[in-house]
Amino acid sequence: MEEINLVSEGFKFMILGMGTVFLFLILMIFVLNLQAKIIQKFFPQTNIPHKKDDSSSKKDLDEEKRVVAAITGAIMAVKKG
Amino acid sequence: MKRLLLAFFLLFGTLQASSEPAHDEVVTAGKEYVSKDMGTMVVDFLKSTGLYAFMTAEDTTKMDHGHEIEVSEFSQGWGRVIMILIAFLLFYLAIVKNFEPLLLLPIGFGGLLANIPIADISGPNGFLGILFEAGVANGLFPILIFMGVGAMTDFGPLLSNPKVALLGGAAQFGIFGTLVGAVALTQYTDMFSFSLQQASAIGIIGGADGPTSIFVATNLAPELLGAIAVASYSYMALVPIIQPPIMKGLTTEEERKIQMKSLRAVSKLEKIVFPLTVITLTLLVLPDATPLVGALMFGNFLKESGVVARLSDTLQNALINIITIFLGLSVGSKLAAEKFLVAETLGILVLGLIAFSIGTASGVIMAKIMNKFSKDKVNPLIGSAGVSAVPMAARVSNKVGMEAKPGNMLLMHAMGPNVAGVIGSAVAAGVLLSIFK
Repeated sequence: MEEINLVSEGFKFMILGMGTVFLFLILMIFVLNLQAKIIQKFFPQTNIPHKKDDSSSKKDLDEEKRVVAAITGAIMAVKKG
Repeated sequence: MKRLLLAFFLLFGTLQASSEPAHDEVVTAGKEYVSKDMGTMVVDFLKSTGLYAFMTAEDTTKMDHGHEIEVSEFSQGWGRVIMILIAFLLFYLAIVKNFEPLLLLPIGFGGLLANIPIADISGPNGFLGILFEAGVANGLFPILIFMGVGAMTDFGPLLSNPKVALLGGAAQFGIFGTLVGAVALTQYTDMFSFSLQQASAIGIIGGADGPTSIFVATNLAPELLGAIAVASYSYMALVPIIQPPIMKGLTTEEERKIQMKSLRAVSKLEKIVFPLTVITLTLLVLPDATPLVGALMFGNFLKESGVVARLSDTLQNALINIITIFLGLSVGSKLAAEKFLVAETLGILVLGLIAFSIGTASGVIMAKIMNKFSKDKVNPLIGSAGVSAVPMAARVSNKVGMEAKPGNMLLMHAMGPNVAGVIGSAVAAGVLLSIFK
């Protein structure tokens, strides 16, 4: 059996290994970008309208608070007067 | 009545006949007790103490995975004492310095138990030996740990900015750089003689991923398992000390101040589909990596599916904790003096450190290369998070970034390369395993 040059074997491993790692990750980046586009186009986030509901109801609540504050203020003013 | 009595006698007779040989066996199996006078009894007992065993150590052989190995007097006597002191050192590092206590404590204690003379706890009939055979020798425990890691990991930062996965890829240079380094040491010096399998197992330390290191080491170089596991987990714990000087040395002040675009929100559906996408890619490109990647993605899928909170909770807590205990103890049981107190261990510790540093450096350099080609600038500090020590490496990126520019939060940006690094090192492990098939 002839002597194997370990270092050159090592470099072969490196080229194959790093090549595969990068190939895999580049493929993954490509697929993930594609997947993001598809999902955003065909399945837009369903919780967005829900969030809107939340924020609008929050606004209503704020509005209500302000009305209550105004009324209390008015009552106080009348009582003082 | 007569017939009944006859039947009774017959039954009794057969019973007695069948019980007789059994009785004989018991006597021959156990040692016959011989009466001894008090003096001999005390002397015999003293001979079974640890102190006596330490002092009268001699060369013996013992069975190791089916073949006999020579065990020198040194590793039976003083070697054991040194190993027990090393276990104490690990306790110190874990408790006082807070270095990965979750693993170093079980590993250290396993090492302590394994070096107790006479009891042979790490032998084939000791409980550590049984644990090792049950889960480490066949690669089961690292896989189970990976499930838990998957269930704990949020791949959101990677999904919102996939290109940072390249940083997680570049950091794997540490693995292969060290592999070449280890075989070069073998080729050009007489200090060490590592085979290609051993060199590969040592290189994986550079992936900064404990379970992956153990998985590869058990497959390629089981004889180096103890040293590789200890090196791997120690360097993971040393991330905050090893990485910052390298990161600062390779970047300029301006680069460290780069503010990155805030990450977009990732929808729930994207997160659910992600594990399936990755597992599909893996099975197409590299089936040898599917045990690791598959377990990781299974855990993540349970988490993101949102319908099996109980299972996901078990993976993240109960299961990973139990397996951590078992894995730590059984890896520790390989810290036997005859395997650990050899020149190779020193070589492994040094090479592991080099592996780690190369990984860190290549992640940072890759980020700088990416900045040359892309208009969305990447802060090179997140490159170092490409080594997969999750989430420690990402925290280090964040900390160094904050030092350069207070308020520049890099944590979530660094989680992207960090989790990509886990996938990257699993792929690298798969390549190495496939080469030696």
